Amino acid sequence: RCQLSRPQRALQASAVLRRVSDEQKEPFSSSSQQQFDSHPTSHQPEQEPQGPRPSYTGQGGQESEDYESEEQLQHRILTAALEFVPEHGWTAEAIAEGAKTLGLSVAAAGMFHSDGSELILHFVSQCNTKLSELLEQEQKLVQLGEAEKKPTDQFLRDAVKARLRMLIPYIEKWPQALSILLLPHNIPSSLNLLTSMIDEIWHYAGDQSTDFNWYTRRAVLTGIYNTTELVMMQDSSPDFEDTWRFLENRVADAMNMSDRANQVQSTGEAVVQGLMGAAVTVSNAETSGVVR
Amino acid sequence: VYQVFESVAKKYDVMNDSMTLGIHRVWKDILMHKMNPSPGTLLLDVAGGTGDIAFRFINYVRSARERQLQRKLRHSQNLSWQEIAESYQEENFKPLGDSQVVVCDINKEMLKVGKQKAQHLGYSEGLSWVLGNAEELPFDDDKFDVYTIAFGIRNVTRIDLALQEAYRVLKPGGRFLCLEFSHVSNPLLSRLYDVYSFQVIPVLGEVIAGDWKSYQYLVESIRRFPPQEELKAMIEDAGFFKVDYQNLNLGIVAIHSGFKL
Repeated sequence: RCQLSRPQRALQASAVLRRVSDEQKEPFSSSSQQQFDSHPTSHQPEQEPQGPRPSYTGQGGQESEDYESEEQLQHRILTAALEFVPEHGWTAEAIAEGAKTLGLSVAAAGMFHSDGSELILHFVSQCNTKLSELLEQEQKLVQLGEAEKKPTDQFLRDAVKARLRMLIPYIEKWPQALSILLLPHNIPSSLNLLTSMIDEIWHYAGDQSTDFNWYTRRAVLTGIYNTTELVMMQDSSPDFEDTWRFLENRVADAMNMSDRANQVQSTGEAVVQGLMGAAVTVSNAETSGVVR
Repeated sequence: VYQVFESVAKKYDVMNDSMTLGIHRVWKDILMHKMNPSPGTLLLDVAGGTGDIAFRFINYVRSARERQLQRKLRHSQNLSWQEIAESYQEENFKPLGDSQVVVCDINKEMLKVGKQKAQHLGYSEGLSWVLGNAEELPFDDDKFDVYTIAFGIRNVTRIDLALQEAYRVLKPGGRFLCLEFSHVSNPLLSRLYDVYSFQVIPVLGEVIAGDWKSYQYLVESIRRFPPQEELKAMIEDAGFFKVDYQNLNLGIVAIHSGFKL
């Protein structure tokens, strides 16, 4: 079967979507299309679990206004579905409602796994993209001399805080999302997203310190991020003050760990001390009934 | 084809059970789970004469709706008594949540048996019975959320026309689901299956329904039916996207799914 003939056929849904957006005069649908057009590659990695799919982007360089690939439509449905997550949770129902707002049948939710995995992965990926953009902008400001370069610990604190703040609208249903992300068939994708996010943060933080090697840096920040996320789940303080204070302490610990490693003769001892601190923190977070 | 089903209609269900050793119920349940319909779905079940798929759909949607209502009540903890009372009133209650299924069959007898079954089992709302031909459906464009055809498409003379009609009556985003006997690739199972099909089934047909010829026809039509990949290509030709199939029992039966995007 010749797959090449398929891209010529414009998706009917695109025509429907245009009609819907024309009627409502929504700037939303056109701007989201631009956003996803420029990020086709960043979405490829976590789409692997769904199986092979033809790649439409770049076919003959011709992308007329009403032409879009299945993936783009799927992204649009998932983005629309996020609005319904606070009410329905990360479920096929939220996806169905999202599809309805785009003028599609609720049966379109059948395109996705029924446990809502793709919705969560899509959201995480979107957050990571937003974080990258934020860090990129900050870096530009520094390069233009309009802002000061932050010290590493403040940079890490701000980056993790900014990323975790994106969870706030969905915080009630986020524990559910975390448990779904831990399912065996989702672990490759969720782990992939996590590590690339951590890498991005370190990339923009700039590596001045030669104390840590690359793996340790990654592991340390991943530990900080995960534990802070768990603390945030059960934090009821105003605007999550407790969480940010926890974050500050963890980042400070991590910085101290590197200093101590310089001072002390045997670095092994220092690493063990650092790990003990992390273990105590994690067990504290767990015993305070984090995961509901 | 019409005469085959005229004579077969009354004994259809019994024959299904004995031929497939009751497994056809599991196949249909799997189909329903794959569909995962949410309340408010409009289903068209073609060639669904005796209503097996329709009844399963109603059951599924009913329990989904119950769960939905429970969740809504749990959320709205701060309602006044009047609001709670209102939510329990009949108009708002909607046990099926506006879901509906239209059963369409070319054969009057099959529909009659289906209607009787519905009455007997207590299914009243959300069901419609329409006489129609899969190659030329008596419905408007863009009407249905899901189109199913369970063990019916191999009896259609022009499968491509049926697929085109399915495409036409589905809403954008709608789903096409086809449950049908297909090809077994495993050689050992294939031989056992052949022996069973050609030796046992027509005999059962004669004993239970008093009709050898119809069941001979049935078994032959299964062999003549295009295999999984070919059917997938035909569905794609009709305009469906994300076409995929799932083999059940190593290929004895396959569920094909496609979306109108």
